[in-house]
Amino acid sequence: MPWSKPSFVVLTAALAVSTVASLLLGVGAEPTAPAAGASAPADAPDKATQLLRASMLAPQSVSYVGQLETVRFSSSRAEATIVRVEHRAPDRTRKWYVAPESLYGDYTITRGITTYEFDTRHSRVVTSRNPSVENQVAAIGALGLITQNYRALLGSEETIAGRKTQSVSLINKYSGERAVRVWIDERTDLVLKKEQYSANGSVAAQLRFEELRYTASIPADVFSTTLPAGYKEIAGRDYATPTTDVGRVVKEAGFTPIIPKYLPEGFSRLSGDVATVSGVKTLHFLYSDGLRTLSLFEDALGAAADFGKLKPQTVQFEGHDAQYVEDGPTTLLTWEEHQLHFALVSDLALRDMVEIATSVVP
Amino acid sequence: MNEHLTTNTLIDYVHGELPSAEDALAHTHLQSCTECRSEFERETRLSEALRFAAAEDERELPSMVKAEIWQAVRAARPSPYARFATWLQPLVAVPAAAILVAVVYFASPLGHQAPAPLTVDASYYLEQHAAEQMNPLGERNVTPAVLETSDTGRPDPSVGSRTAVAAAVDAVE
Repeated sequence: MPWSKPSFVVLTAALAVSTVASLLLGVGAEPTAPAAGASAPADAPDKATQLLRASMLAPQSVSYVGQLETVRFSSSRAEATIVRVEHRAPDRTRKWYVAPESLYGDYTITRGITTYEFDTRHSRVVTSRNPSVENQVAAIGALGLITQNYRALLGSEETIAGRKTQSVSLINKYSGERAVRVWIDERTDLVLKKEQYSANGSVAAQLRFEELRYTASIPADVFSTTLPAGYKEIAGRDYATPTTDVGRVVKEAGFTPIIPKYLPEGFSRLSGDVATVSGVKTLHFLYSDGLRTLSLFEDALGAAADFGKLKPQTVQFEGHDAQYVEDGPTTLLTWEEHQLHFALVSDLALRDMVEIATSVVP
Repeated sequence: MNEHLTTNTLIDYVHGELPSAEDALAHTHLQSCTECRSEFERETRLSEALRFAAAEDERELPSMVKAEIWQAVRAARPSPYARFATWLQPLVAVPAAAILVAVVYFASPLGHQAPAPLTVDASYYLEQHAAEQMNPLGERNVTPAVLETSDTGRPDPSVGSRTAVAAAVDAVE
């Protein structure tokens, strides 16, 4: 059964800490310069950044049992779940769905990069592997990108799930908009509440622990992936392994891609990968500013998106009739240009996505 | 080749439409058979006359040419059975062909379907994005696609639902 070795996690953590430490030295040089009379405000950004770093590493060393509530908002409605969570550091997690009713009793077990989804209605277990979960390059780079593009500000102290927390907001340096706010347990550095915001300030997604108990004594069989009687094991998706070697990815795709000439400030290309979907070789580029992510998919076979039961809406730009659908705060926008089919996915506002799409020209 | 050349063979020979091996045999036979050569020359004249007439279609054919044409037509007239079979042929062949086409069209699953255009399930894009997106702070709050598409599903189909994995799983089953 594949799962991450502790040495890998330790290495990842060490790399992250060293990267963050050097980053903090660079970032901290200006704001921490002792000014006459300077006290809490001058130190605040540093403390906020340190808290963020600690919260990113916390799940690798903190084990807990709790109940988590999540809500994802689209433009007109919301989807919520209540999940019982058991996490044993560094990388084993079981989530048992309490609500909504359609998911009640289903559960997932994650062991490293492998996730087992137990579907009780169909008596099946779907196994998928996602190398991005432990992509140390992305993990280490995340904080660097965040501090490069966001200003971390300490907020108020609040009690979440009976624990004293310190909130930290991340403000986009270019737009001045608050993108994320996290409430970090003062004792364990675990994120107990998190809110993501849309560009207009509305809450796009929220998660919050309602109950929480720290314990290292979680029985191993909680994370057992043995098939229950009568269950079938089904191979799910093995996600492509992203690489920063874009040249290799393009060569593998077999066609010359068109890349966006415009990206929102702070975004840069992180990785690429190629997958064959329904016989269509699809190229995927991932862009991010540390907190927000943008995916651009291209294929040269003119294979349009099949929306199935979804009801896409149309938006026009530069003579294109593009189609889009919302999935919570995430929007999928598809269009064609120069015999290539494109799909753009992100949590950005539709107008920003259209602006990016408009710039995808040879 | 000792047998005389048939009229059809001669006509094909005149028009250069025999396979090369038969053409060579016919040529050899004509060198030694005066009867067939005479017939060959008659066919040649007739063909030339027809070509000439076709080129000068406004011109009335000479009476001798007309007579020769009719003579040739009469000589080549098929037997009554052959004429009957020829007359019957379209009556049988046309309905048979129609039935064959109908059977192929309706019986074959591909017969009456246009080839499906290449498509990529839209949910693939959402799933792949969710799998790779950076989520450095806190839990991922995205419900797995397989579980999300349980029987009851989502109440509002106008909002996206990640179904590609579930569809693939169902297909496997």
